Parts: sequence; structure tokens; C-alpha cells
Amino acid sequence: MRKIEPLWEFVDVSKAFPGVLANDKVSIKLFGGSIHGLLGENGCGKSTLIKTLSGVQQPDSGTIFKNGKATHVTDPQDARNKGIATVFQEFSIVPTLSVGENMFLGHMPVKRSGLIDWKKVQLDAAAILKEMDVDLPTEAITDRLSVGEQQLVEIAKAIAIDAKTIILDEPTAALGQEEIETLHQLLRRMRDKGRAILYVSHRLDEVERIVNEVTILRGGKVVRASGETQINVRQIVSAMVGEKVTEQYPKEFNASPKVVLEAKNISTRHGVKNISFNLCEGEVLGLGGVLGSGRTEIARALFGVDELTGGEISLNQKPVSIRNEIEAIEAGLALVPENRKFDGLFFNFRASGNITASSLGSLSRLGFLNLNEEERGTSKLIKDLEISALAESKTVDFLSGGNQQKIVIARWLFSDAEILILDEPTQGIDIGAKLAVYRLINMLTKAGKSVILISSDHDELLAMSDRIAVVRHGRVVKLAAANELTRDDLVRASALSNKHNETEALV
Amino acid sequence: MKRIFDAQLIGPFAAMLIVATIVALTTDRFLNPGNLSNLSLQVSIVALIAIGSTIVIFAAGIDLSSGSMVALLTMILAQMLKFMGIPLTLALPLILLVGGLLGLFLGLITAYGRIPSFITTLAALIAFRGLALTFNNGSPIFSIDPMLEPVFYGKLAGIPLPLFYLIIFYLCATIMMNFTRLGREIYAVGGNPAAAKLTGIDVKKVQTKTFIIAGFMTAVGAVLMSARLNSGSPNYGQTLELQAIAAAVVGGASLAGGRGNILATLMGAMTIVIVQNGLNLNAAPSSVQNIVLGLIILLAVGIDMWRAEISELLSGILRRRSHEERH
Repeated sequence: MRKIEPLWEFVDVSKAFPGVLANDKVSIKLFGGSIHGLLGENGCGKSTLIKTLSGVQQPDSGTIFKNGKATHVTDPQDARNKGIATVFQEFSIVPTLSVGENMFLGHMPVKRSGLIDWKKVQLDAAAILKEMDVDLPTEAITDRLSVGEQQLVEIAKAIAIDAKTIILDEPTAALGQEEIETLHQLLRRMRDKGRAILYVSHRLDEVERIVNEVTILRGGKVVRASGETQINVRQIVSAMVGEKVTEQYPKEFNASPKVVLEAKNISTRHGVKNISFNLCEGEVLGLGGVLGSGRTEIARALFGVDELTGGEISLNQKPVSIRNEIEAIEAGLALVPENRKFDGLFFNFRASGNITASSLGSLSRLGFLNLNEEERGTSKLIKDLEISALAESKTVDFLSGGNQQKIVIARWLFSDAEILILDEPTQGIDIGAKLAVYRLINMLTKAGKSVILISSDHDELLAMSDRIAVVRHGRVVKLAAANELTRDDLVRASALSNKHNETEALV
Repeated sequence: MKRIFDAQLIGPFAAMLIVATIVALTTDRFLNPGNLSNLSLQVSIVALIAIGSTIVIFAAGIDLSSGSMVALLTMILAQMLKFMGIPLTLALPLILLVGGLLGLFLGLITAYGRIPSFITTLAALIAFRGLALTFNNGSPIFSIDPMLEPVFYGKLAGIPLPLFYLIIFYLCATIMMNFTRLGREIYAVGGNPAAAKLTGIDVKKVQTKTFIIAGFMTAVGAVLMSARLNSGSPNYGQTLELQAIAAAVVGGASLAGGRGNILATLMGAMTIVIVQNGLNLNAAPSSVQNIVLGLIILLAVGIDMWRAEISELLSGILRRRSHEERH
């Protein structure tokens, strides 16, 4: 038994929203000196729990204890005063301000005259970064930092207010392998200094490596809470999904020898350097490499977003010139962008409007849309892809990330695209939805469509690709069958890259 | 049908009814048939221009130029009819064309010149007024054409013509927004321009088209304005652009783009005009009218912004009541 009492304890906390009981008598304990993993599929109530703890909303019932005493967290400011800092998925740093300014935003040290004591800002900020063992200049404008570094600034903010409890929501969603390592080392050091950390993540391999205890939610209830015992990924998966998962990656091989796309020595001004590869009918070609290595830029070049400065792209053995998105789509290409929120979804539309957005031309005659055909086609896809039935009547902001991602992919099924570029298609979605995306990829390749899969999840890339091209600094450094590559090959490609090279690749 | 008469219409319609009821309670002259027919004349110009303003807002733009453009177009129309001897049957289509071309010009600058529409149309608001003053040495042109007045004051089967214009144009706009490819693309561009671009929608072209529509509808408004007073004046249309935008906002159109119902703009325009009419009938000074218009805009945007809180409050009251009933 543990002797120390928990820093924070939730007892039977419930919270309902119109139509859903988001948290149903959830109990959880956060101890100082421990990293607590919070897991569960999308819509299981993780976000609700985090929001309650950080004072964004009030629970309907239940009690919150701080150091054994019942208390309320009335608002985010109150949460900060009580030592809770939350790093949400969407960062809250001000991009135009420096690292130091961001760290002390809202509680800037002032001189007696009432003016900001800039010297103290810099000194205190530097001291905190040193304590964190993070090498960042305090005067750097956060805008110029990498995503990983910005995340570190978020954590530095938490330490600047002397938060004893730090909540991290999907902290590694946008990070490369190396940055994840840095983050984990930092979290372990902070844990060892007695802080309580609540770590929310979908990436189970990480959870296994870093957390000390785990709480799993399903349908708003705690389905499993483990103390400091062994944490087993397979058990977690079945607890989350609620069924025995036999296969994490249901890969089917459907490639035929017919080449549908060939890129010959293509280059762009945005970091694609003399790249050649081809793609066969029914094949999944994986693009591996770290964030900023040029994978996304290859997708942009194929899709006509970035102009080619050299080389040639052929579709079905015929050279093509694709100058913009419209021509790319006409040529049968499709891009499912990495950031579905910003680049993929229309939150003002229901599923139908989202699904048909790229097919409005073929769906209309003399400018008039065939709304019956739209309704028929989209409700079939909603059923086939097992998208929530809510999608037919509500705008897509009411849907989970997994459902949203399926809708973005469904758009290209509706428009009958031949070559789909999927950029991080499973980022931020839960295991059940990931499985659905994998099955969807199988469905596509079986129908003779080809897929270019960009993923930072090495296991996923290895399992779901036919061949993999490893990209580094805008060049393909290795192109081989997926079963001839190992996780190590991919990690090594990542490890050799560093921040300097990444920025170079982005220029 | 369900597509057009959706939930977005209930709020603006209820607001209009509430306002009308209040005004009817304060003065019995409101429901007088003469006054009601006068109302339809009053609402017509702003409601027609508001069609364009709303469609620009749907695509996440804003059009501040319409008031000044009305002044400019009434001057051009008067010039054509009175001094250039162009017949009415030719002048009317010409002035609609000019309106569309001015809109095209603003749209091109906004979409392809990458200048925010707020700035483009603010500049036009100032410049068009100046341009209007270059005609006839800056003086209004009166008694332009006796054939012009029936365009506004004419009746068909005893019903004022402006009512027909309202029905025709709102019908067309409703069909366009709900049943055509362009309408869908406008909502898509307003909802998420980045996603629209990646799905193959020509965002710039769509934005430009919304400004052409706005210019055209402003020209329709300008024709009615000229006909109403049989004159053209560089002073016409002051704050008309704000009233048109207010009509859109009171009708529930989101200024962020992508959300709203074009028919609701008609309700919004009527609400505003009924309020003005009520103040007039109760002999309120024009200063009060402006203050009230300002407050209505604030309230309309406020209701949009506080929607979540309001529904939570309402459901809370309902829950408490059902709780009490059980005991």
C-alpha cells in the first residue's frame, strides 16, 4: 500500500451533456511523483475529465479532493492557483511573443514603478529552462520554434506557475521520434521531483514506456484502473475497445505490377530534392521519415500545390502537368491532409456536404445539384464505413475524430479517386477507428486504387505498406519492400535527422 | 422543403413576430393596411441589397460598399436617362450590368489581389461616394424620367410591385443557395477555405462571384431608390450597407462565414424596418432610431455568441420545473 495521500482525488464525479453522460461516477487518484496514463477511445470522456480538473467546467455531482480536503475548481484561473497546469492539444502560447514572455504571461514580474521587470523575466525563465534541462534561448520568438520546442515552452509555462500537477493532452501527436524522447525524459525528471502528471495519449507503445499507473475509460466509466503493476498493451487495447483484439494491423496485399504513377527526379522549392519513385495499382506505398523530412512536401508536389522545379510526373505512363488542386483531382488524385480540422473538414456541413465536396461537378447538371443522388450516395457510404448515424443529421463538429477522419476519406470514395495520398490518417484517433481506417485502406486497394501512406507511427507504416520510401532532408534515402525493413531502419532514418536539417528541408 | 425551412428560420421569424406584436401594442396605426403596404415599400430596398450582403457574408467576406454604390448607380442612371437620352428599357439592364461589373472589380481585388474584403469595400465605400459627386457637378438630378416612378409605385393585382421583386429575388437566392453547385461552393468556401481549395473548389472564383451578385443586387436596390424619388443623388444610401449587414446578422448569418439561411435575412430586414416603423409611428426622433438599430445589431450577434449559454439556461429551467412537478 502507498503511504502518501493523493495530491488530487476524484470520487464519483459525473458530468452530463445534452444527450450523453460524458463522465459516469469517475474516480481517479493523482499522486505526486507518478505519471498517470489516462486512456480510452474517442468520446469515452477523457476530455471531459480533463476539463473538469482544469476548471473549464463544473461536474454535476461527485467530489474533488485536494490533499484529502474536499474542494472545487471554479475556473481555469482557480485551477492554476491550486497548482494545476494543463497543456491542451491546441497550444496556448502566443506565437509572436518570446519564450520568456510566454512563460510569464499573466503573471509578469513587475518593478516598483509598475513596469515589467524584463531582466527578472529573462533570468527566471532561464533558470526554469535550466532546471528542465532544456536548451532554448529565452528571447527566441516562439513562432520560429519547432512543434516539439513549442510543447516544451508549454511545459515551461506550467513550471513557471509552480504547478504541482501537470495535465498533458495527447502531447506527442505532432512530435517526431527524437522530440518524443526529449519530452519523455523531461517528464520523468519532473516526476522524480515530486510532480503529478496526467498523461493522455493514444499511442500505446508510449504509454507502456512512460506511465506508472493507468486509468482506462469506456463510455464515460472507469473500466480499469491499475496501480503500480505491470502494464500490458494487449490488455489495455481490449479494455479500451471492449472486445478481444486479435489483429492490430489487418493488412491485405492487393498490389498488381501495373504502374499507375511514376515520379522521375522531381524537385520543388519547398524541400523535395530529386526524388524518384513509382506506385502500382492496388499498392500502398509508405513514406517514412521524421516530421519536416519532406514527406508532406512530396504529397504537395504530386497534388500540384507546390510547383515542380524539375523532373516529371506520369500517370498511367502518360506525362502530366498538374498545376493546382483542381487539375490534380481531375487527374484522379486525392489528398487526405494531415490536419483534418484545418484542411479537411467543413464544420458547417453535415456528413453529406463533406463527402460530396470534391464531386460537386459530377453531382450537378446545368449548375443544379442532384440532392437525391447526394443523399443516397452519402448514406450508403455512412453505412458501409460504419460512420455514426448522427452524421446524417448533425454537422460534423458533433462527431468523434475517428468518424471525422472516415468522412474525409469517404469524400474520395464518393468522387472515385484513383490515387489517394493519406497524410497521417490515424493521428489522434482511437484504436477502434484506426482499425476501421486500415480496413478502409484494404478496401481501396482491393478495388484497384493506390495509396500513398504518410505516417509517423513506424509500426503502422511497416504493417500497412507494401513498400516504403524513407525520406530524409527531401531525398529518398531508402526504398524497399516493407517486410525487408525493420523498425530500427526507420528509427535510424529519424535519428540521423536533427532540428537543423529539418529547418533546412522546410526552406 | 425541409432543406429551406430549417431550424435557422425559427429564431429570426420569432424575433420578427415579437417585434411586430410589441409595435402593434404601442400603436393601433401599425396594423393599418396603408401602413403595412408602406412597410413593404420601405423594406424592399434594404432587403434586396441584403441578399448580396448576406451571400458575401456566407463566403466569409463582408461588403461595406453597397450604400455608396447605390448613390453612384442612381447618378449614372439619372445621367443616362436625363442627359444621354438612353431609353429606360436599355438603361435598366445597363445599370444592372454596371452594378455587376463594379462587384466583379471589387471581387477581383479581394480574391486575386489578396486584400481583405473589409478593406477593399471600405475603400470602395469612400471612393464610390466621391465618384458619385463627379456627376452633374455633385448636385442631385431630379425628375429624371416619368416612366421610372411606376417601377417602384406600380401595382399588380393591387399588390405593390416591390413585393413582387422581393418574392422573385428571394426565391432565386433561396434556390441558388440550397439547390445549386454555386450555392454549395459558397457555403464551403465560407466554412473552410483551406479545405475547399484541397477539394478542388476554385475559392477565388467563388469569392469573386459573391461580389458580382452583391454588385448586381445593389444595382437593383439603386433602381428602386431612383424610381422612388424619380431622382439620383450622391447622398443616397447613407448607412444602407450597415442596415443590409444588420439584416443578415439579425437573420442569424454567421460573420465567420459558412452558416446562415438567406430567407432569414428577409426576416432580419423586416424586423429592422418594423422597429423603425414603430419608432416613427410613436414619433421617436431619428437619433433614437439609430441608437436602437445599434442595439439590435449587438443583441443579434450576442444571441449568436451566447447560444450555448442560453440553451443551457433554458434546459436548466425546464429541468427544474419537471423536478418540481415530480414532488
